[in-house]
Amino acid sequence: MIQNRNKLIELLIGNLSNFAVHKILEKSINKPELTSKYQKESINSFNISLAYRNKVNPIDKPLSNTDISYIKIKISNRVNSELSFRISKGYENIDLTLINHEIEKVLKELKIF
Amino acid sequence: MEIIAKISRGTKMDQVYIPKARSGLEAGSYVIIKPLATEQINEKARLKPYFYGIKEIEPIKLDIINKTFDIIEKYADPQNIIITGSFLNSGFNFNDLDILIISKETNTKIIEKKLQSSIGIKPHILVLDKKNLEVGLSTDPLYLSMISKCVTKGRLIFNTKREINYKILDIHLLKSEPLIYSFDILNGEQKYYLIRNLISIKLFIENRNVDNLGIDREILKLFKIDKINIIKENMLNKKKFIEIYKEIYKQTQKNVFNFIKNDSK
Repeated sequence: MIQNRNKLIELLIGNLSNFAVHKILEKSINKPELTSKYQKESINSFNISLAYRNKVNPIDKPLSNTDISYIKIKISNRVNSELSFRISKGYENIDLTLINHEIEKVLKELKIF
Repeated sequence: MEIIAKISRGTKMDQVYIPKARSGLEAGSYVIIKPLATEQINEKARLKPYFYGIKEIEPIKLDIINKTFDIIEKYADPQNIIITGSFLNSGFNFNDLDILIISKETNTKIIEKKLQSSIGIKPHILVLDKKNLEVGLSTDPLYLSMISKCVTKGRLIFNTKREINYKILDIHLLKSEPLIYSFDILNGEQKYYLIRNLISIKLFIENRNVDNLGIDREILKLFKIDKINIIKENMLNKKKFIEIYKEIYKQTQKNVFNFIKNDSK
């Protein structure tokens, strides 16, 4: 059971990282045809995250501080690394200062935090 | 069941060819052949679907497809209707019915409701106008793989040229990344989806055909496996698989990012 919970948390982290990456990439561009694709992907990742969140106890209360800090750090590192990699390859207008804001916002929406 | 077919000339005997994908009229059964009035030919020809990348289809699925076309045409005025996805794979291991309606505007809610109650399968409807579909086909490997195996109401005629948009490819490529760190958690079908996604992008960048069969062939070759079912049944050798997968992922990502300098950012 504990192993299942850890697996679910890992899946949650993976999908929330994807969500945050797409949200920040979406804000870096001004092309409607791409914006809609980023939105679609972030909505997908959010819905999958929500499904996993609803399987992690406690469901209707925030998670423990240990869980929260583990999740936050892992998402933040993953998002930072994905975005920094893209900046190094030539992506423009990516604002890394948005990372923490996006993460906190979505964690609150999912009642993780 | 009625089929309209044309008598064609043979060397010793003339013949009538009928499609293998049909509901009823089993091989070996006796039939009547009689001439048809021209207006009846036109009417029946209108009802015949077009098959792309499909050798055989179960008769019951053909009935469902025809019913689906009828219902959609009753509530919308589509330029074309495309049925695609796992529904067209042999057997009955599908979750929903993927439908692409080519139209400027369509109320999908009522169609979804009617289809669900009439055929009992959850429809997944996407509405696109022809222009956006053509843009998708020229920039997005997913669109290409989607129409590589489909049944359509009308003939598919597109005039598209492949264009590389690194941002679109990057969006799709990101979807396949979780397989690297979530291998143990994902089931066989999820793994297969992520591998297919990666390989379709690889083929697209290499300017090769992006069709379902080609993608599967490339998967078998690259991962040195005999059957796709090894993936679907979650029987992959993790160490060997991840090693190859990471390499393909990295190389594909590198190839995608190589287009940054050629593209307007």
